[in-house]
Amino acid sequence: MRTVAYYKGCLASLSAKELDISTQALAPKVGLELIELERVTCCGAGDIHEAEPDYYLHLNERILAYAEETGSDTLMTVCNVCTLNLRQANHQLRGDEALLERVNANLESVGAPSYSGGVDVQHFLWLVSAGDGYELLKDAAHKGLKGLKIAPFYGCQILRPSKLLGFEDPDRPESLERIIVACGGEPIDYPAKIKCCGFPIIQAREEVALAELIQPIEQAKEAGADAMVTPCPLCHLSLDAWQSKLLKETGRDFQMPVLHLSQLIGVAAGLESSELKFKRHIVSVEPVVDKLAV
Amino acid sequence: MQVALKIWRYDPIAGERALREYEFDAPEWATLLDCLDIVKDRIDGTLAYRKSCRMMICGSCGMRMNGAAVLACKTRMYDIAQAGEVPVISAMGNLPIVKDLVVDMEPFWGKIRAVTPWLEPGYTEPVEKERVVSQERMDVIHKESLCIMCGCCVSECNSMEADPDFLGPAALAKGMRFVGDARDEATVERLQEYSNPHGIWDCTRCYFCQERCPKGVDPRDAIAKLGAEAVRHGIDSDMGAKHAKWFVTSSKTTGWLRETELVPKTQGIAASIKEVKFAMGLLTHGKVPPPVPPHVAKDVGEARALYDLVKTQERAGAAGIVQGEKALSRLEFEDDGGERDPYGEGSFPKPLPVDKDGNE
Repeated sequence: MRTVAYYKGCLASLSAKELDISTQALAPKVGLELIELERVTCCGAGDIHEAEPDYYLHLNERILAYAEETGSDTLMTVCNVCTLNLRQANHQLRGDEALLERVNANLESVGAPSYSGGVDVQHFLWLVSAGDGYELLKDAAHKGLKGLKIAPFYGCQILRPSKLLGFEDPDRPESLERIIVACGGEPIDYPAKIKCCGFPIIQAREEVALAELIQPIEQAKEAGADAMVTPCPLCHLSLDAWQSKLLKETGRDFQMPVLHLSQLIGVAAGLESSELKFKRHIVSVEPVVDKLAV
Repeated sequence: MQVALKIWRYDPIAGERALREYEFDAPEWATLLDCLDIVKDRIDGTLAYRKSCRMMICGSCGMRMNGAAVLACKTRMYDIAQAGEVPVISAMGNLPIVKDLVVDMEPFWGKIRAVTPWLEPGYTEPVEKERVVSQERMDVIHKESLCIMCGCCVSECNSMEADPDFLGPAALAKGMRFVGDARDEATVERLQEYSNPHGIWDCTRCYFCQERCPKGVDPRDAIAKLGAEAVRHGIDSDMGAKHAKWFVTSSKTTGWLRETELVPKTQGIAASIKEVKFAMGLLTHGKVPPPVPPHVAKDVGEARALYDLVKTQERAGAAGIVQGEKALSRLEFEDDGGERDPYGEGSFPKPLPVDKDGNE
């Protein structure tokens, strides 16, 4: 078992609880023991970085410091945006002693632990698509996906900027495809799999966001996908919940089921429906469940 | 070495596009631009592309290789040719194609002009003494000043694909170059202008611009700096600014995002009422977490105290991003952190010893 500090972020605590529940249920099957961080806050989701960047840096160092306090050298995330925010702050602090010293002094003065730079931020996707995690995943996914056609959707902030993320080629990623194959599914290729789902501006500029959102869903549908899978709960929320808005605006009813990565692996690993929580999705996952039951 | 390229040709008179393949011999040091020169010189003189300096300064030769915008003069072909790959070369995206690899840059320049890309010093006659700007103040716009306006950042901009009127990464980074300039006196007017629709708050944070920029400008960070400066100056009536500020409020009150209140706080109560039907659909699936009782993080008082503390430390606005740039630049320029021999293999020839008369 590899012990990692687990930062679930806002959405997995709130509207995307099914992500947290399925991740926690799946973790031991892929060799991960999760120590959930309890005293942490939102990473700022790019919004605090844009409104109050100095405060963003402090909030993220506070999360890193509590992760370090667990004794693990890895902080596991389940959200693209958390991953970028935390890795960016981590690079800034590790690469600049004076900055780390200043932020640590501030953390100490409010009663938070200080940070020595000893934590690496890793997305769940990265831990199970390579190395030991991947070997364990192949064994765990014994129930398979019966050749289900799955469209991988990466989202942005797990690929770009690659100098901060750097797990794989940002233009030709293959970690999700590797997992889909290991789970017994068939990965579908389509150009928009590395593009934006529109979520960051879906409240403030809905029209622009919907014009972005329709591309991956439309392309996945045309390529014959039974479902999409994403490693990011923000992408999940827009891909799943905003399909009804696409219907309203464009008249097109895609009915494309969208799975969290932990749910896709969870299905192949035989998690119970109480651990997958598909009822929390807006677009029904029933067609996928039915295909697998045959 | 043998090089093969597939090039998307476009004939503006016939209005036809065609993918043509070219194979030729090129020196091992050849860049993509050198290869295009070879094609034009030896195979097909009608191939159209832009070039000038050949050394990553003029910004003329932006084009796509396998769908990703690059400077042709910065892209070495050796590894690609050795791997036996046949890359597809095409014109940049988000701009109209004139012929083959040449795009019409006019929409690009129009957006650059729209951000008033010159200094507004607040006086018309030269002042008596020179104005000395500290290095610290120049550091604020160091990265934005590196822009060569090649258009690579614009090519894959996802917001611009969805909204062609979006000012985009190049123009907004240029805007930051003047907002951050200590000598400029039009900061507030600029931030108001850039906060209008199709400006700062239309960026979807896809980070394609950051990935593509061949000069390290990091346009997405420049846009975040503009957002931070707008909020600092109280120019925050746009929904995007309100959205961003709600995350700040959430983090220091409950620690976590107060998700259900995000819509009325961003769009206002009146607009939110129109969303009731949509919200009810989410509610039935547990996607609208009840705001009461709030989901409060343990020891959230620490976050609130941090907020109050950093407010007193003069790092407000863009300075909060600039302070991390030194460390981030190391990611690009220090590969493995080890000692490097400047005269080692693959580098400059070692100079011969010179005697006191200057003879080798």
